Amino acid sequence: MMKIGYYPGCSLEGTARAYDLSARQVCERLGVELTDIPGWTCCGSSPALKLDGLLSTALGAHNLVQTRTHELDSIVAPCPFCFRRLKSALDETGKDRGLKTRVESAIAAQVDERVTIYNLLGFLRHTVGLEAIAKSVVKPLTGLRVLPYYGCYLVKPAQITNFDDPENPVTMDDILATLGAEMLDWDFKTECCGAGLSVCQTETVERLCRRLADEARFRRADIVAVACQLCQANLDMRQGPADRWGRPGAGVPVLYFTQLMGLAFGFSARDMRLGYHLVDAGSVLETKGLPT
Amino acid sequence: MIRLNNIKKRDAFLERVMAKSGQNLRDCLQCGKCSGTCPVTSQTVGGPRGLIAKILGGMREQVLKDTTWWHCVSCGSCANRCPVEINIYPVATVLCEMATRSGLRPSEPEIHLFEELFLKSVRKHGRANELSVVLQFNLRTLKPFKDAVAGACLLLKGAIRPEAFLAGAASNPAVARIFERVQQVGQENKA
Repeated sequence: MMKIGYYPGCSLEGTARAYDLSARQVCERLGVELTDIPGWTCCGSSPALKLDGLLSTALGAHNLVQTRTHELDSIVAPCPFCFRRLKSALDETGKDRGLKTRVESAIAAQVDERVTIYNLLGFLRHTVGLEAIAKSVVKPLTGLRVLPYYGCYLVKPAQITNFDDPENPVTMDDILATLGAEMLDWDFKTECCGAGLSVCQTETVERLCRRLADEARFRRADIVAVACQLCQANLDMRQGPADRWGRPGAGVPVLYFTQLMGLAFGFSARDMRLGYHLVDAGSVLETKGLPT
Repeated sequence: MIRLNNIKKRDAFLERVMAKSGQNLRDCLQCGKCSGTCPVTSQTVGGPRGLIAKILGGMREQVLKDTTWWHCVSCGSCANRCPVEINIYPVATVLCEMATRSGLRPSEPEIHLFEELFLKSVRKHGRANELSVVLQFNLRTLKPFKDAVAGACLLLKGAIRPEAFLAGAASNPAVARIFERVQQVGQENKA
């Protein structure tokens, strides 16, 4: 059994429970024991990063302290923004002593740098490994045409995330190909979905997501696979008026890579909370003989 | 003429933005790759290249009233494609802090409102209550039924829980204290 600190982040408690619940079940099946970091708090997300740099770093650092206080030395974060903010807090306080002092007085604790921060995708691909994943597959995703969509925060900027290739990442491709899926290629792997502007600048997000969904249809993708709850929510909800959700078979279904892993591991569609998304994935999965 | 007049003033602003953001804006080649790749640059949002040009020109007021940095989602695409590795989102943070301290009204009030409501929720609960932030935003901007159909669908599907609206997250005094101390430390650092 592998033990690691788990930092779900606010969205996974709120609008992205499908990501959280599928991730937990998949990890358990792979023999990974996720320990929720006791008393974890918000990383500040994009609002803190915009409005107050010190606050943003302090909120990240506070969670690093929580982790060390409970004698955990590594964190896995499913949310790419949390992943990048925690990593940034570590980098920024490591590089700038003045900032570190200010952060430490803000959080009233010492920043301990002996923490390793993983994103869930990278952790499953590299630490758990493809071999272990392959061993758990009981229902291969044969014939399922999947477009991997990584979004921004996992890979960009490379100087901070230090993860995969910012233009052409392959980590998710590796995992899903191991599950037997037919991986499609496209140019929009790391194009932006509009992220946190979904509520306050909806038109921007609609413009970006429509472009992504059009391209996915052009590539005849059955499923767009994501590793980020903002990508999921935006693409699911704002992919354009032509193929709106609500009608079965309309629109491009957008699933978390963990949900696809779960299906291949033999979990039911209900276990993986496929029904939590707006665009229905049932009809396409049914044609491939997968649980709906 | 900008280059000849007020050189000291121009440089003071530029130096301050560079020092606080850690980005060497003087290296900028004005190649425009950033604006070309930026997802929020549009016919109405100018983009990073123009913003950097204004900072280099010491146009403090125009820069602090610029809309580009308000729209920035910190995707990092500009940093990724910039030949001299300038990253704009740390610049956006610095400009936002400067604009706030100068008492300027946000040039994108809706983005500002959303971000403020989000942080209020974090301050109060320790974690962001997304549903309540969205609901408050829609009410405050007089669009109470925006995304209501999607919301109702998600509620019926069980994806979002109604009790999350009502109960909110548990309050976390530790986080509220971080907010207070950040304000103190920020003021001391300024003085």
